[in-house]
Amino acid sequence: MKKNNLFLAFFLLFATASIAQDVATGRVILSDGTPLAGANVIVKKTKEGTKTDANGNYSLPAPKNSVLVISYVGYVPVEVTNSGEPISSTLKTISSDLGEVVVVGYGTAKKATVTGAITSIKGKELTQSPAANLSNNLAGRLPGLTVVTRSGEPGNDASILRIRGLNSIGNNSPLVIVDGIAGRNLERLDPNSIESLTVLKDASAAIYGAQAANGVILITTKRGRTGKPTIVLNINYGWNQPTQIPQMASAYEYAVMYNEYNAYNNLPLKYTDEDLRLFQDGSDPWGHPNTDFFAETFKPWSSQNYKNLTVRGGSESVKYFFSVGSRFQDGNFNKSASNYKQTDFVSNIDTRISKNIDFSFDILGRLEDRSSPSKGVASVYRGIFRGNPTLPAYWPDGKPGPDIEAGDNPVVTSSDLAGYSNNKSYVFQSNLRLNITVPGVKGLKLQGNASYDKTLDFSKTFIKPVYLYTWNGQPDHVTVPGVRGVADPRLTQRSSDSYRQTFNFLVTYERRIGEEHTFKILSGTETQKGMNSWFSAFRRNFRSDQIDQLFAGGNDIFKDNLGGAGQFARVNYFGRANYDFREKYLLEFVWRYDGSYIFSKGKQYGFFPGVSAGWRVSEEKFFKDRFGWINNFKLRGSWGRTGNDRIAEFQYLATFGLSNANYAFAGQPHQIMYETKIPNPNVTWEVASQANIGFDAELFNSKWALTFDFFNNVRSNILIKRNASAPEFAGLTLPPENIGKVGNKGFEAAVSYFGKAKSFDYTFSVNGGYSKNKVLFWDEEPNVPEWQRATGRPIPSNASDPKSDLYYEAIGIFADERAIANYPHVDGATPGSVVFKDVNEDGLIDDLDRIRSLKNNIPTFTGGISMSVRFKQLDFVLLLQGALGGQTYFAYEAGLTNNYTKADYDGRWTVDNVNATKSRAYSWGTDYWTTRQSTYNLRKTDYLRLKNLELGYTFADGFLKRGGLENVRLFVSGANLLTWDKFPELDPEIEQNGAFGYNYFIQRVVNAGLSVNF
Amino acid sequence: MFKRVKYLILISAVCFFPSCKKDFLDTKPLGEFNETDFWSSPGLVETFVNGIYKDVYRYPFSWYPLSVFSGDESFSMGGGTVVEFNKSAITADNIPGFYDGTQNYMPHLQGLQWGALYKAVRKTNLVFENINRIPVETNQKTIERFKGEAYFLRANLYHFLISLYGGVPLITRSYSLNDNFNVSRNTYEECVEFIVSQLDSAAMHLPLSYSGATEGRATKGAALGLKSRVLLYAASDLHHKMDQYAPGYSNPELLGYVNGSQRERWQRAKDAAKEVINLGMYSLYKADPAPGDSIPKNLSDYFLSRSATPEDMLLQYFSSQAPGEWTENIPAVTHAPNGFHGWGWVIPTSNLVDAFEFKDGSKFDWNNPQHKSSPYTNRDARFYATILYEGSDWRPRPTDVAGIDPWNKIQTGDVYDVSGNVVVQGADNGLIDAWGLFSGYFLRKFLDPAVDFLVTNQDVPFKQMRYAEILMNYAEACIELGEDGEAQSYINKIRTRAGQPTTLATGNELKSLYRNERRVEFAFEEQYFWDIRRWVAGPTAYHPISRVVIKYVAPDATSYRKPDGKVWGNPEYSTQVLAKYSWSDKAYFLPIRRSELNRSASLIQNPGY
Repeated sequence: MKKNNLFLAFFLLFATASIAQDVATGRVILSDGTPLAGANVIVKKTKEGTKTDANGNYSLPAPKNSVLVISYVGYVPVEVTNSGEPISSTLKTISSDLGEVVVVGYGTAKKATVTGAITSIKGKELTQSPAANLSNNLAGRLPGLTVVTRSGEPGNDASILRIRGLNSIGNNSPLVIVDGIAGRNLERLDPNSIESLTVLKDASAAIYGAQAANGVILITTKRGRTGKPTIVLNINYGWNQPTQIPQMASAYEYAVMYNEYNAYNNLPLKYTDEDLRLFQDGSDPWGHPNTDFFAETFKPWSSQNYKNLTVRGGSESVKYFFSVGSRFQDGNFNKSASNYKQTDFVSNIDTRISKNIDFSFDILGRLEDRSSPSKGVASVYRGIFRGNPTLPAYWPDGKPGPDIEAGDNPVVTSSDLAGYSNNKSYVFQSNLRLNITVPGVKGLKLQGNASYDKTLDFSKTFIKPVYLYTWNGQPDHVTVPGVRGVADPRLTQRSSDSYRQTFNFLVTYERRIGEEHTFKILSGTETQKGMNSWFSAFRRNFRSDQIDQLFAGGNDIFKDNLGGAGQFARVNYFGRANYDFREKYLLEFVWRYDGSYIFSKGKQYGFFPGVSAGWRVSEEKFFKDRFGWINNFKLRGSWGRTGNDRIAEFQYLATFGLSNANYAFAGQPHQIMYETKIPNPNVTWEVASQANIGFDAELFNSKWALTFDFFNNVRSNILIKRNASAPEFAGLTLPPENIGKVGNKGFEAAVSYFGKAKSFDYTFSVNGGYSKNKVLFWDEEPNVPEWQRATGRPIPSNASDPKSDLYYEAIGIFADERAIANYPHVDGATPGSVVFKDVNEDGLIDDLDRIRSLKNNIPTFTGGISMSVRFKQLDFVLLLQGALGGQTYFAYEAGLTNNYTKADYDGRWTVDNVNATKSRAYSWGTDYWTTRQSTYNLRKTDYLRLKNLELGYTFADGFLKRGGLENVRLFVSGANLLTWDKFPELDPEIEQNGAFGYNYFIQRVVNAGLSVNF
Repeated sequence: MFKRVKYLILISAVCFFPSCKKDFLDTKPLGEFNETDFWSSPGLVETFVNGIYKDVYRYPFSWYPLSVFSGDESFSMGGGTVVEFNKSAITADNIPGFYDGTQNYMPHLQGLQWGALYKAVRKTNLVFENINRIPVETNQKTIERFKGEAYFLRANLYHFLISLYGGVPLITRSYSLNDNFNVSRNTYEECVEFIVSQLDSAAMHLPLSYSGATEGRATKGAALGLKSRVLLYAASDLHHKMDQYAPGYSNPELLGYVNGSQRERWQRAKDAAKEVINLGMYSLYKADPAPGDSIPKNLSDYFLSRSATPEDMLLQYFSSQAPGEWTENIPAVTHAPNGFHGWGWVIPTSNLVDAFEFKDGSKFDWNNPQHKSSPYTNRDARFYATILYEGSDWRPRPTDVAGIDPWNKIQTGDVYDVSGNVVVQGADNGLIDAWGLFSGYFLRKFLDPAVDFLVTNQDVPFKQMRYAEILMNYAEACIELGEDGEAQSYINKIRTRAGQPTTLATGNELKSLYRNERRVEFAFEEQYFWDIRRWVAGPTAYHPISRVVIKYVAPDATSYRKPDGKVWGNPEYSTQVLAKYSWSDKAYFLPIRRSELNRSASLIQNPGY
């Protein structure tokens, strides 16, 4: 067909030249100015036509005043009248994307005929956010994909991604596939080199078998296209700051609480009234400072930038896409030792070797360069949170003040005065692909892929002694340095090397029988294996900190080195069969026979099938007649079984491992080995059974688009340890066994409206996903009271501990002694202590009074509202994103040497404030409401935030064109600009990992950028 | 066309090749040893046995050592759970310090958890079950030693279990996944007999001593020494007078002996101690101080010695080379005075200090004005070797504090004006760093002044067993058997070494002198915790504990001392309550946790829970 068309076009062109006749000429471009090659140009009511060339130009014989129809799949056709002058036409995408091709497992499919629950997004949308980590750009955009950002640390700010919430007590991470290769990382991809991102949410993922139970994210990078090269330069400069900084108590407030605490505990008071006065009036900065450690350690804004250049073009025989880019993101610390730098390039080349053979060669290279303080940001954050406000961060003479311990004055440890930790990761990814259209057998294609990915990691941690100053306490204000932390500079250097090699081979056969029956069959095999190995070396007693190389360290007994390795291998066979009848009745079957190295011989292979069907009701005559305003309506349903092999490997083997600890004999450390676990010879896959029904609809000439899905997943064979029912005296380190079962139900919906007025386009869309999981079977302690059982309730926050979501129910604060006498209480409760509810009403407060929380740390509902408007050269995008149904436990080590929050001070119980909302002055780890997990410290993490905002203006006048530019777009954008929540202390997405686990704050970004189209 | 087909076949072959390989999926763990390799290699088995030592002895220098759970021996500001435990606020859900809801930095006590001890018991069982997989021909001696060590370590684990919980299930084989776990507790008597038989076997297999790099492993002497300890505990009142502290408890056989004679058991304890003495291997370090000796220095030298002396029966070594965790071998940072940038985290109570006699053998008394005016002169040499107090010498101040204290003496008091306001704070009393609340004393015993603890781990060994204990065990058994003369002579060996006058006391007087002697001799050595329990003497240790407050009055002072180094007149000493500890009889034993009872229906709970 195609060949004939071309031939005809050539013929016609030739004919035009030789025979004098009316000719229509013109150029077809897209709304962003890029020429459109291959668009059909047909003279209306005739069969005569041509296609645009690489530069979007066409020329064909057509009578004057005849009408030309210009069309291209996925774009609104345009009609123009041949005036004899060259005509420029702009094609706009049709809001209906039925003709669009979406990426599915090992191939593509026409959106109209897709039967699975699939959601996807264009790369263009991912460029709207200035966030430096791609995973942070996904929130609120894809219904059914939950995105939670736990940390904002430059270089380590990946979000947790969950498809349809939590499905397992085990690993819940989706499988990520970039350009067909499993296991590649999406976080650090440049959004400008991404064509599309697709999420497979249901049984359609079964083609990925044993790793697909948590859903699959498919990313496709951009490729070349026929036409003159399009060169785009993007430059962004931005500034970031924490979305929220907790308000801590002042020196006065802290000292007041310290004294109160001592008084409650019959201890002598630490601060006199005079001390308190001096803390309050600030007249004695030497003896009575008032330090705000957040203000001392953080700077108001930190910079970040992003630069990228892409070149895209090609001819019939060679198409290319190149991208080079760099980015930089600075940390929040004042004298920052924390930042992230990245340099990357992509080269995707497609060549046509012969009529039937295409060959592609893709490479990606990236340097990820992470720097952090030598002790790590968690330690610095801990220092800030604890920061005792009665101690100076700096003495008035500018010298760093004291630590609480171990040299941890955060203004020093956040800087490179304490050394540095640097990690450089060199990522190299390659893929060779051969596509062969088998001559002689119509519809038969073969494809082979060979990919080799390599990552080299080099890290260096150089720890230097820290000098902190002590004031002599005398009026002459002399400060003297003392060494802290470590005595001598010391260096740990580590390097690791890993590779992953993937081969696959696909056969596809497509056949159309008559006008009605279309068959598509795909069959393939894939192998993947990889290995990583590492070693590290350590020296201390560096004579000087001037040279941070190992040779300069002491040549003594403290020299150390370490190394290790691991390997993996997977083999599988898979396939897909599609059938459709007039694109009206659709059927699909996918399968995978998967082999994984994780299991014992004989149990290495599993079979995972998936079926789905669709009915495009809107294609039925009765429907068309009655509901003409519904221009598309498709019902879909699917069921499948997938597996999850992301568990600790080699559980079937009895092994012995090396412990980190030593035991010394005669003063020398000796190694310790231990039994890693008892083997479980029967260990096998976790199995997911996934059912989905849904519909897609388009209304009123595709102005409205609706999608709805309901799903019901059951995960069984979940590997869990029988720790709860096996008594401790058995002394067992149990292996996980396939005994857990979890159900997860929910829905997703998306509604979009595409509006258009003269030079005014706008879209508005809302999407959301809700999922509710329930533990169906778990290993629990026998004889646990009903209200504490995990079975039948949601997966706890710490899935390895069934008891992790048991809380005492805090129902107030004891106002006075009488209140204590009148209600059961924990031994030692005093006025101002937290009241725990006597749940079983036995007059005692004990373990049995704990209740199980029905929420955990992953929200159950997430959604987004987005709006985009284009008015002439102005464009505007807005994304609101929110989450409901999550909670987090917030308790950190306040009291004693550690500061309290201002909220703890303001709300606290005192003899003058007996109807308080907060407890009396307390000490973490001492008072029972800090050592016993209670709802007192639970915070709801529901929030709504202005996730993204972008406003741009495009200059595209003749002036630019004469300078060789197509257009120039200037824009401002932002991320996490505003947040509405009920968690007064911290950002709702951040999580404390126990009292000592401090995560780097989530960042707000404001950004200005420039995009130049050559 | 044919060419193309060939081409295709080639490509397909390349693509299929790896998957055709039959053993493509056969990988093996590269970070672990498999079972067969492991048990056939004596070198690997040795690392496994090393690990059991760690399980048994853990982290005695950590910032929550057993001494802070021992009532009036010492105090720690930080751990609220420390206070809870010392108030006997123990329930089947919450055993402060041992099992806490949210805290996980008390590894020393966590090692004494029921589950942790049984995990270690399993390791010893595994050694017995697999030891015959080591090739015998070339490893005869090593196998003997492993067996001896496993017997010894298993005995020590059960010794901890029965001391904490009473009679416990005796598990002597390793369980696997599908075993039946329905086991009940053995009686206390059965457990003791089991432990004793284990130690007899250990003594048979173990060598008398080691040389060089293996020093620190269990010896025959250590096995017999532990037997003496076990039999002494078993003979004690805790295991005979259950009616006194657990009246009406339905299963007294779990707590102690329900028949037979206590006297015979004291005799057995005496014999066991004598067996060690008769070995002739051990002697007290500088048992007879020479006239010119500084006895405090003798004792200090002994406690800081990096290698075994003839007094040491079992040392737990540490290495400065091992990366120092807060929990490992750094008592200096956590225990040292605040004016050295230490944390003063584990501090002696005033009650302990008061237990040290004067040099002439008289008791200290705050009501005696002379004692009160100069409490730190002419005290028992062990006081100077154990305690840092106001005005004592220790190590050079860190550079940044040296200017504040050019006299280099411990400062645990404050200088006041006449109206009672502090004008100069003592450097070790909260001036330098913001840690804690102090008792007026700091620990000296294990802190090596030669080590700059701020930046270096110290490697002073912990004395898990020393000969002095055997002598004291022997003396205690003699007292209980009414052999006061024999008891005196052994107590006097200890007193002589310490430079204290010998005693001729008898009867109850001798008994209480003995108990005090044991307290000061073994302060901070993990003896007091067990002693007060086995003596059924809880209330004598768990009661409000006190600190000393030291006041100098010098309104115009700008420094802690006068520039010439003299103090500002005579200080005023007084005591204050430091924490309100209290006792409840249930605390003689720990409860079996509710979760464990839930899992195993045949376990019986201890009294009071």
